[in-house]
Amino acid sequence: MNAPVIDVRGLHVRFGEVEAVAGIDLQADAGHATALLGRNGAGKSTTMRVLAGVVPPTAGTVLVDGVDVALDPVAVKRLVGYCPDVGGLVPRATPWEHLQLAARLRRLDDWEARARDLLERFELGDVAHRVTSGFSHGMGRRLSVVLAALHEPDVLLLDEPFDGVDPLGVEATLAVIEDARARGACVLVSTHLRDLAMQACSTAVVLRGGAQVAAMDADELSGEAGADAYRALLD
Amino acid sequence: MPTARSSTEPGPTGWVDAVADLRHLLRFRAATVRRPRAAGVALLVLLGVTLVAAVGPLLVDGSGRATFLDDHLGAMLAGFLALAVASSMASGGGRELIPREQAAIHPISHRTEHLGALALAPLNFAWLLQAWLLLGITARVTGPDGWVGGQVVVAAWIVCATALAQVLGWVVETVRRTPHGVAVVRGLAVVLVTIGVGLQATDRLLPLLDASPTRVLADTVTARDGALPVVLVLVALTAVAVVVGALPAGVALRRTPREELKVESGSHPARPLPASDLAVLRRIDRASVWRAVPMRRGLVVLAVGPGLVALGGGMDWTQVLVLPALVISGGALLFGVNAWCLDGRGALWRESLPVGPETVFAARALTLAEWLGAAALVTVALAALRAGVPSATEVTALVATLVVVLLQVVAVSMSWSGRRPFPVQLASARATPAPPIVMVGYSARLAVSTTLTAMLFSSAAQAPAWWLVPALAVPFLVWSAVRLRRARRRWLDAPQRARVVVAVAA
Repeated sequence: MNAPVIDVRGLHVRFGEVEAVAGIDLQADAGHATALLGRNGAGKSTTMRVLAGVVPPTAGTVLVDGVDVALDPVAVKRLVGYCPDVGGLVPRATPWEHLQLAARLRRLDDWEARARDLLERFELGDVAHRVTSGFSHGMGRRLSVVLAALHEPDVLLLDEPFDGVDPLGVEATLAVIEDARARGACVLVSTHLRDLAMQACSTAVVLRGGAQVAAMDADELSGEAGADAYRALLD
Repeated sequence: MPTARSSTEPGPTGWVDAVADLRHLLRFRAATVRRPRAAGVALLVLLGVTLVAAVGPLLVDGSGRATFLDDHLGAMLAGFLALAVASSMASGGGRELIPREQAAIHPISHRTEHLGALALAPLNFAWLLQAWLLLGITARVTGPDGWVGGQVVVAAWIVCATALAQVLGWVVETVRRTPHGVAVVRGLAVVLVTIGVGLQATDRLLPLLDASPTRVLADTVTARDGALPVVLVLVALTAVAVVVGALPAGVALRRTPREELKVESGSHPARPLPASDLAVLRRIDRASVWRAVPMRRGLVVLAVGPGLVALGGGMDWTQVLVLPALVISGGALLFGVNAWCLDGRGALWRESLPVGPETVFAARALTLAEWLGAAALVTVALAALRAGVPSATEVTALVATLVVVLLQVVAVSMSWSGRRPFPVQLASARATPAPPIVMVGYSARLAVSTTLTAMLFSSAAQAPAWWLVPALAVPFLVWSAVRLRRARRRWLDAPQRARVVVAVAA
């Protein structure tokens, strides 16, 4: 059996006195989409930030496709496409300037056709050259997903990608997740929208109080019974 | 689009509510101060300096004797009003008590906004410096006899001028938010500046200011008699200005901030991909700076203002040498002291891109340096029009001062940015890159250090030895390079960098 693409063991993250993540273990495989669920403050976004190389782990081991995020964060960043939970956009830059920045720093060739295609799929083609500070929340979320998916990363990290997004945007995001999964990427989706998470993912991990409390098939959290089971895990 | 008056807005009795709301907001601001003890010490220092400014000149021999200061006190009092008006106009009616994004969900009336802007006006180092100067000169003019009356008159004028300036600031903001308001305000500013420069160039500005109505106040101070009725009139005028100021404030705040919205919804056609990582990072950093209204407006005022003063006053090169320090330290206060806030909530995404943190640091420091350097060069270019042909020593001194102060300010700014990041959007013309009390500390420290440096180089430029200025520059450059390196090392440390990124993206 292949080693998991995401392999987190005993992850702790502290911000001063606050322990945002208190010993998470998490494994996710290539070609699978995994949902990261839990209440506010459960440690989902911080875990995502660690996996994206943005926040260093205080303790524990975090391997992304075999690369230790603490030892070589830039190599991890090359592997990962990350949609942060808040904003995620430079306020006075245009979508195209964001794409150019990502393309240049990721050494992408012939990226423009894919960028245009993604912008069209997320209905952002008309505003490609408009400053993003005037964007609605949903437009910002959609662009963040486009930026995460541009380079077809081996690991796609989507933190609250459906938040405030209209049904067409949700469909486009689900399609991006399915595309990534189909080409063998490892996808991690953090969201509070359980139904969408179950639609997009095959497995689910539930966090509570900065630690993992359950890992299961997505089917087990689907429907009415799944809702009750999920609620029981949160209390 | 103008919006109608809200039914929740207070009527004529709304002033009581506005004052109560102001008290709540000030308490909220005070509660969010990260280092309350340091803020308390800073306030005590400000009060101490005010006391020293008002009393100190009495202790120096010669206080109370007639000097040229007596003749020009009226002009200086008028100058304070001009400065307060410029500050209020540039900041879109005055500083925000709480940022626009946070205020939007609260029923904060225009009266509270107006009172908040008035309350924050003194938390501006230029305002404080001018106020201290006026109190000091007054003490010098009156001596111990009539000191109390003189100080009370000038203090009452400082408060009154601030309130009057606030009225004008809101009126200008009201005009600016009309369909062609930005062009009208810019045109008016050009006309006024041209008139001012023309008057200064023909030596008619000072006589005009001397003859302004503030002459009455100056006469009261120098006569050491009749302070009470003057103070009462000033208090009444202040009260009227505070009440009247709420009217244009209400109109301005109901109107759409067109300039900000135009920038926020502006389109920028695609340009070819830059050739290097550094170049692409600098391009996006430049866009973040030049597409922000407070930064564009602030830089124009900073670059052009001192340059025109030098042009009108016909300053020689020895005096011109001090100007770049003023401009560079002022420019850093527009965003440099919290340089990482440019990325806003995009900081998390930017940090996830595969590029070395040293390149990111270099791009931000270079963007700051070129922004400050460009402003200083505009000032020098304007001043040079009447300063004559500089000697080789003067050119050397100018270049040395520019480079030394630029590196000094960039190093300090990058250091502060790494140590104390604040989440700031900088979308509104009324926004500042750090809380007001922090800004006072930053501006005081920058102004003192850069002015002293520039004065040292200005003095050295008058020495016959041409090598003195370059020799003096070396230790300054080395020290600033060490500070910049230290700031860079802090940024390269992953936990420290994460703290900054998470803070500015909050």
